[in-house]
Amino acid sequence: MSNIFEFEGVVGMGYSQPAPLLEQSKIKIPSGLKRKDLPRLPLLSEPEVVRHYTWLSTRNFGIDTGFYPLGSCTMKHNPRVNEVIAAMPGITELHPLQKESHQQGLFSIMYEMQEMLGICAGMDSVTLQPVAGAQGEFTAIRCIQEYHKSIGESHRNKVIVPDSAHGTNPASAAMCGYEIIEIPSGEDGLLDLEALKAVVGDDTAAMMITNPNTLGIFEHEISKAAELVHSAGGQMYYDGANFNAILGKTTPGLMGFDAVHYNLHKTFSQPHGGGGPGSGPIGVKNHLSKFLPSPMVTRRPREDSDDVGVDGDWWYTLYNPVESIGKVQQWMGNPGAVVRSWAFYRRYGFQLEKMSEHAVLNANYLRHKIMNPSEEQLEKIPMMPVDGSDVKLCKHEFTLSATPLKEKYGITAMDIAKGLLDKGYMAPTVYFPLVVPECLMIEPTETESKKTLDTFASKFHEVLTEDYETLHKAPVTTHVGRVDEVKAARNLILRFEYTD
Amino acid sequence: MDQLPNMGREDEMLEIMGFKSIDDLFSDIPENVRFSGQLPLRGPQSEEEILRDARTLLNANITSKNKISFLGAGLYRNFVPSLVGQLIGRGEFLTSYTPYQPEVSQGMLQAMWEFQTMVSELTGLPISNVSVYDSSTSAAEAITCAVRVHNKKATQKDTVYVSELIPPHRLSVIENYTKGGGIVLKKLKHDSNGFMNLDDLSNASGSCAVYVEQPNPLGILDEGITSIKQIIGESTALIVGVQPTSLGVLEAPGNYGADIVVGEGQPLGVGITAGGPIYGIFACSKKYLRQMPGRIVGKSEDDSGRTAFCLTLSTREQHIRRHRATSNLCTNETLIALMGAMHMSLLGPKGIETLALRNFAARQVLEEKLSTIEGLEFPYLNSSHYNEFVVRFPFNAQKVLDWLDENGIIGGFALSNWYEDCENDLLVCATDQTTMEEIEIFRNKLENLMEVEK
Repeated sequence: MSNIFEFEGVVGMGYSQPAPLLEQSKIKIPSGLKRKDLPRLPLLSEPEVVRHYTWLSTRNFGIDTGFYPLGSCTMKHNPRVNEVIAAMPGITELHPLQKESHQQGLFSIMYEMQEMLGICAGMDSVTLQPVAGAQGEFTAIRCIQEYHKSIGESHRNKVIVPDSAHGTNPASAAMCGYEIIEIPSGEDGLLDLEALKAVVGDDTAAMMITNPNTLGIFEHEISKAAELVHSAGGQMYYDGANFNAILGKTTPGLMGFDAVHYNLHKTFSQPHGGGGPGSGPIGVKNHLSKFLPSPMVTRRPREDSDDVGVDGDWWYTLYNPVESIGKVQQWMGNPGAVVRSWAFYRRYGFQLEKMSEHAVLNANYLRHKIMNPSEEQLEKIPMMPVDGSDVKLCKHEFTLSATPLKEKYGITAMDIAKGLLDKGYMAPTVYFPLVVPECLMIEPTETESKKTLDTFASKFHEVLTEDYETLHKAPVTTHVGRVDEVKAARNLILRFEYTD
Repeated sequence: MDQLPNMGREDEMLEIMGFKSIDDLFSDIPENVRFSGQLPLRGPQSEEEILRDARTLLNANITSKNKISFLGAGLYRNFVPSLVGQLIGRGEFLTSYTPYQPEVSQGMLQAMWEFQTMVSELTGLPISNVSVYDSSTSAAEAITCAVRVHNKKATQKDTVYVSELIPPHRLSVIENYTKGGGIVLKKLKHDSNGFMNLDDLSNASGSCAVYVEQPNPLGILDEGITSIKQIIGESTALIVGVQPTSLGVLEAPGNYGADIVVGEGQPLGVGITAGGPIYGIFACSKKYLRQMPGRIVGKSEDDSGRTAFCLTLSTREQHIRRHRATSNLCTNETLIALMGAMHMSLLGPKGIETLALRNFAARQVLEEKLSTIEGLEFPYLNSSHYNEFVVRFPFNAQKVLDWLDENGIIGGFALSNWYEDCENDLLVCATDQTTMEEIEIFRNKLENLMEVEK
């Protein structure tokens, strides 16, 4: 089928609208600013638009389509009630510059979310303003920067990140002007305290780390790392991308962190939407609270002079922290994502712990099933991948390395990933974290059944029985075969070009 | 626990692995950091209970559905065609991740490539990414991008000139994004008629970039914008912030020398949504391609020569380039950009022109009606506008808003929240959604108010 610019409609067809309130000849438009040619938007009728996008959707794989074990992305089920709530006019038509009395319902939801997120992470204050995880990182590092300035320590110009960190960590800190010190992981994929000791010092502003780390392993020496960084005067930043593993079991606060971001689009089921939107609130300890971006929601006892509101006892209001860094998004963040995650949280309440238990149960179970094929299966598999790290337990995700297959047969992690596409699955994350060579990173999430995991493990084994030729040609059952990404980068075609 | 398919099968699964209890799975968390006991949170709810609470809370919000609204100030009442909400709910789009595996993501990749084309057509620039968070972050990213491209040759190193009218909340975002790079922001002056001072603009020559908005934050369309590029020259980037629906009638900024165009996509495809999620537009000329932020989709082919799309130029991005990336942007606003693409697909060339004309006309009618009220002033009446303008009252504008609110009208935005010395100025907005009836009601109420206050 064609792309949307190849439909053969004529200009002026299609979508009808009410007429302007004035005849066109009476509408004043500055003549020097008038457009000479109309933008060549597509020419389709409504039925064609519906069919085009429906067709495109059939060429896209989502969680609703099938198992999506994309490590580090927490591709859990997105409950549809969340969508119904986010589509209510009380949120879609609300303007953030309206007065407080107009926004009491939303503010109460935001307040509840701030409180809940603070409790779950052991943090004192939470702002919902950052609209993505990376922006949360950036915001928190900016707060740390202002904190150091406020205590006369703005000479601290280095941020430490492990080599297994998400790329956004160093990118966010660099945007704040910091020099990045990357420290190597130990043999086991865990934080190497000696490596940390070697770099931490008077110039350390912060350390950014996720726990469990990107190999899915709990950093059991995290408290010692926090002590090291703190005793040098640095701050500890928790990348919340892997928060799904630990709710109700531990908190970043207990581990010694000063600041944390949450990915509502991972842990709290805001759909990923093919790349966004997300929401990346941050939580901080008291000493950083006054630097948080404004506004935040607070509440006070309702007074007689207040309007009715939504809560008989409380009145919700916006406030600006005293030494706020200002804003990172010009409004209040992504409230549309926050209400979805609020609905998700309400499903669990204090039982959020169960969510993490099942995420970890599923990850360990799938790891066990993949690494322990039946004898019958094992006979057919010429070479097994190895654990990315040889630990007894993983948390919400785990890594495998295809290095033995690559060395013996030339089969890469990418080949296995593409082979899995042919079995009807989304591929795991590949080649990340960088510390695991030929890495496949698998995160099943809590919303997959035992049966799905069993079947996936057995299909994974089937892929391992396939030879180099077959796998290198995979996928063959998908809408297109292996896409030439090199060609895309060399011969850039970034838009449709009209021929006339 | 309707989200957990393995409830009740835990023991079975644990036994297969050789574990005795769920606690075994968390034995790697040291005692000293263990959280014990129950999270101090409320109890779980069923879907029905959640919906009931959501209705109670969100129905308590007062919106343009309950009151007539003339509030714009950066986010605009619009109509989102019904098919957008329906199609966007398709799980294949909604529940997919960033299309790292192109073979099973052709749908979203193609939709974004088409979106890039639409933005390119609107702005008159050849390149667009698949969205930034919103117009403020898009402007901020454009500024840092321009500095990376131009700083080497700039005579005013690390310096960017920004219109003094940029509202404080947007400027604050720009300041946060530029501070780390040591970028100096200087202000561009405006004359009392709301137009840019073109003499002052010549000071920007030799700097890395100039950032202005069209319409500007007072709703004014400045004809001077077409001369900026000539004044500042090739080695200073002209960054223009736009309201995209206006481009149905207004010249594409790329055609008067804009190097980067940013803007708030919201009026195309998505409701105001309390300020988010919305989407930022980012388009640029070729010179900025390798320094721009965000995801870009390219057209290529598969191993048997079929047309296929994939993410490209990823070597700019954080997951490859880490601390040397052009931006930390990872999660963006793809799904919202898709809503914009759907809306634009329906509109077509004539439809977007009509949409722009509806905005022009509604504002013009509103201004004409209000100008019949004695005592109101229009400080920028001689300028041309898109869908907003300033009304000056003989008393405090915030008081006007409070009074209007009691009378069922969200009357606009008090400019004293943004600027000094304009306590009496109200920014009012009429969009394609504003009806003649609403304008009459607004006019009559304001006339009453002026009578009462006389």
